[in-house]
Amino acid sequence: MDIEKLIEETFTAHEHDVPDEATVLAAARRRIHRRRLALSRPLAVAAGVAVVALAAAAVVTVARTGSTPDEAAPADKAQTAAPKTAPKPAVASLPMPFSLGWLPPGRVEYVVHRVNVGATSDAPDARPVYGGDYMITVTANGQVLGVNVQQMRTMPVDEAMFKSGPGRPVTINGRHGVESVHSDGPGGYELYLADPSGGSMYVNVDAQHDSTAPTQKLIDYGHRIAAHIRVPGDTTVTPVFGLRDLPGGQRICAFDVERGTTGFWVGTCTVMPPVVVHTGAPELPGAQPGRPVLGHATRHLDENGFRTLLVLGAVKGEPVAIAGRVPLNQLYAVADRLVLPH
Amino acid sequence: MADYENFVQALLPRLLRYATMLTGEREQAADLVQDVLVKVYRRWSRISGTDHPDRYVVRMITNGYLSWRHSRSARLVVVGEVPDGVGPGDFASDHALREDMWQRLARLPRRQRAVVVLRYYEQLPDAEIADLLGCAQATVRAHAHKALSTLRNGLATEQLARAKES
Repeated sequence: MDIEKLIEETFTAHEHDVPDEATVLAAARRRIHRRRLALSRPLAVAAGVAVVALAAAAVVTVARTGSTPDEAAPADKAQTAAPKTAPKPAVASLPMPFSLGWLPPGRVEYVVHRVNVGATSDAPDARPVYGGDYMITVTANGQVLGVNVQQMRTMPVDEAMFKSGPGRPVTINGRHGVESVHSDGPGGYELYLADPSGGSMYVNVDAQHDSTAPTQKLIDYGHRIAAHIRVPGDTTVTPVFGLRDLPGGQRICAFDVERGTTGFWVGTCTVMPPVVVHTGAPELPGAQPGRPVLGHATRHLDENGFRTLLVLGAVKGEPVAIAGRVPLNQLYAVADRLVLPH
Repeated sequence: MADYENFVQALLPRLLRYATMLTGEREQAADLVQDVLVKVYRRWSRISGTDHPDRYVVRMITNGYLSWRHSRSARLVVVGEVPDGVGPGDFASDHALREDMWQRLARLPRRQRAVVVLRYYEQLPDAEIADLLGCAQATVRAHAHKALSTLRNGLATEQLARAKES
């Protein structure tokens, strides 16, 4: 036996450490099915995460009226007002539902700006809910902190769940919440603070990579971040590409702007958005050529009714994918409204 | 979402085994997989439409392990120092030999460990590992080479000889 064999046997010998399937599945289901879907704490795991900052020039109309606290707050408050005659409209900025008024000192990198969409599997016709989500790293003195602040619009604080065990009550700026008791373990410091919508605002501060941070510092930072959250706020983010003048009453319902990648969920926003438009799409073996879009060649593929349209070379030489269980002409109608970077 | 349930139940054992080998720790593996399952649910319409949803989810597990949220926990896995040199008498059994290797694996940088797990546990060819990690095959080979060098370091010749005999 050589070292490679030893490695194989070492892994096999530790298969007894594998967690119980039922327990993990039950825990995941609980998080998914909290009332409606509780907007979950996502990982920054999508292939390639980070922020892109392209200049945004289009006028953004922030239409916050008509959104009650219990309703969706669709991200498509970014209705571009760019004139249709403009041959090359600029990529419009997207407004975040809330802003962060304070972050720990250091070099701040916004890893993810996102508006989540959630719905319930047992009531698929229920109106989806939307919530903002920031993932950030703060680097100071060689130490890296991860910060995640997310609206949990369907999760009241009394239903909060912690990775580290039961929480304990806390009051910040007169608002009640619950925080993790064991903030020195995996997951770091977690806080759910009551939100006027009836849900909660989730704040997570954690030491990253090989960094360390005193537990009390994580707690203090978490409290201060929570105390300075501004709703609705004035933060905007610029995606790597945009959409404009969507047909048939469709809007951008949710988005995900990460390092170099962008995704939009498009629909009427009164039901789960049926179309997703995103960069970072893989190749589609077997895709058929289609008509050009904005001067770019296209390919499309139908997989049992789920159709994907690739607009090739649309953003920095990479394709933009438009996909959903909708007719192909609907995907083309969305593709024709792409706003590509100059 | 019945197809989601069926998909998850079929793939879950593999995901848990894989996550355990990556993280080296039961609770962290459970946490990682749980997070990914929630994320898969939210993106199911997109994921289910891919050619290989299982590969997509394995990639999510991999990226989750490599990404920042679990990095701290990965650091917490190793609390003890592995001896710089190991004497022959320290290994009274194969079990001790494997436990020593387990600790050495835990000390690897995450990307190297991912390569080792994918190559020696998942038994994937370098081309697939490169695809999963989003890098060139040469990079995979480089990670593997560094990892094996690190893992060998400190293993006394006697132990390796003994291992080869078993």
